[in-house]
Amino acid sequence: MKTDRTPKIGFGIRKIILALVIPFIIVLIWLYATMYTSIPHGILPTIPEVGQTFVEMLKSGQMKEDILISISRVLKGYLISAVLGIFFGSLIGMYQPVKELLVPIITVIRQIPMIAWIPLIVLWCGIGETSKVVIIVLVAFFQILVNTQSGIESTPKGYIEVAKLYKLSRWKTFTKVYLPHAVPQILVGLRLGLGGSWMAVVAAELIAATSGIGYRMSSARSNMQSDVVIVCMIVVGIVGVLMDKGIGVIFAALTPWRKVENENRKEE
Amino acid sequence: MKEAKDEIRENDNSYIINVEHLNKQFIVDKQPMEVLHDINLKIKKGEFITIVGHSGCGKSTLLKIMCGLVDYEDGIVERNGHAVVGPGPKCGMVFQDHRLLPWLKIKDNVGFGLKNLPKQEREEKVRKHLEMVGLKGFENSYPSQLSGGMSQRAAIARGLANNPTILLLDEPFGALDALTRIQMQKEILRIQEEEKTTMVMVTHDIDEAIYLGDRIVVMSARPGEIKEIIEVDKAESRKRSGAGFAAYKKRIYDYFFEDSDVEYDVEYVI
Ligand SMILES: Nc1ncnc2c1ncn2[C@@H]1O[C@H](COP(=O)(O)OP(=O)(O)OP(=O)(O)O)[C@@H](O)[C@H]1O
Ligand SMILES: [Mg+2]
Repeated sequence: MKTDRTPKIGFGIRKIILALVIPFIIVLIWLYATMYTSIPHGILPTIPEVGQTFVEMLKSGQMKEDILISISRVLKGYLISAVLGIFFGSLIGMYQPVKELLVPIITVIRQIPMIAWIPLIVLWCGIGETSKVVIIVLVAFFQILVNTQSGIESTPKGYIEVAKLYKLSRWKTFTKVYLPHAVPQILVGLRLGLGGSWMAVVAAELIAATSGIGYRMSSARSNMQSDVVIVCMIVVGIVGVLMDKGIGVIFAALTPWRKVENENRKEE
Repeated sequence: MKEAKDEIRENDNSYIINVEHLNKQFIVDKQPMEVLHDINLKIKKGEFITIVGHSGCGKSTLLKIMCGLVDYEDGIVERNGHAVVGPGPKCGMVFQDHRLLPWLKIKDNVGFGLKNLPKQEREEKVRKHLEMVGLKGFENSYPSQLSGGMSQRAAIARGLANNPTILLLDEPFGALDALTRIQMQKEILRIQEEEKTTMVMVTHDIDEAIYLGDRIVVMSARPGEIKEIIEVDKAESRKRSGAGFAAYKKRIYDYFFEDSDVEYDVEYVI
């Protein structure tokens, strides 16, 4: 038991230390650059300046407001994407003609980078809420759809035969066999989709918006407030990680059998 | 004319499964591949049929055709006097690979085929059948937490749970150790005698085929054909170490090793 436990703790500490090595180096370079070179503060602020700006933005409530606006856009777009993505992904996975109808066009659309959509969407929807939601949907919908489809399609024939043997209806076969089999893969899509939504909203706000964390960044840039830009970037990163972790925890709870399987695999 | 009619009626009453001149081909790489050739098999209600044959000779395919999971183009396949067009509620099957659904707990896997039952009755049936196969206490486990043999037993419980009148078993004891296997053989015989279930079991264990079968279907490969159907005298076949048992064994071995010099047979025969 003892020999089993010690390396685990050691492993945890090692993990944390290793993860901190590169941030530490970056901070060192940053310190060096601000102390021993003549880069203007408008381009590269000092670490204390950034810290101070961070605290100020936090205190004034501006940061909270910016983040909430961006997150609420993500939620709208993401929920729409999740519903549509799972629905159409299932449809494509279950019915060959639907697949033949939709997959070619979807494959083409997916080649267009999200940024390339923004000009057209701004032309059509302006720079209000709708355009943000549309851009998020364009990113997240396809990620969720493609993963749902692949999860449904990879259902082993043997399990479908079991459903056939017990004369399950088409709908029951879907809910009891195809869907549970696809759930892990759907969750992968939902997770990618959430990350994609967050990136999409920040990008869209950078280019065309009057509020949100991305807008804050672009307006700070035009005022040469590099400290605000850096604070916003750090916040975007942290919020992204938190959303990803959060959704990971929720999804693990939704697929208890996967936990058991993973544990078995680790033991082997 | 009259005679013919009577014959048909007799068929209806006495044969729960009737297979006549069944041929089955699979298309592999656009080439037809004959898997089953001119299969004729009539099974009476309550009979225990065992099927032995080389790997790949079409045993699983034959079972799937009988339960309606695989189509056939040529020949007659009837259950209870009706042509088989698909699975029926009273015909159960235990697959070669156990096919428990990984996302369902064992109790829900066993209860998978139990539709339209009140919750309590359903639970009771699940409990009873889990106990029967020795898996009491594993209700809330997931299939990945079970050993291969336990999974097979859970699959057998699922096959039995909705009280089929016909149960098709595809090498159900393949992953069991010798002791559990003998125990399960006794159990399946007990169930068969109690519930009068008609059983068709594919096995690669010749001892098992003799011990369980009222008749043993011996199949040859490529294409799968029935070589012989051996009637078994149960009084002799239930004594595993008796001379009668050994004689059956030699007879079956002779099919598979045509110039048979399998030594340990000879020991038994003497
Ligand atoms: N769906 C299918 N499509 C094409 N070929 C198939 C299909 N199912 C089975 N076959 C082929 O039919 C033959 C018989 O298969 P089957 O599974 O019935 O054999 P088996 O007697 O059960 O073998 P084993 O003892 O190894 O389980 C094999 O050659 C196999 O490759
Ligand atoms: Mg087989």
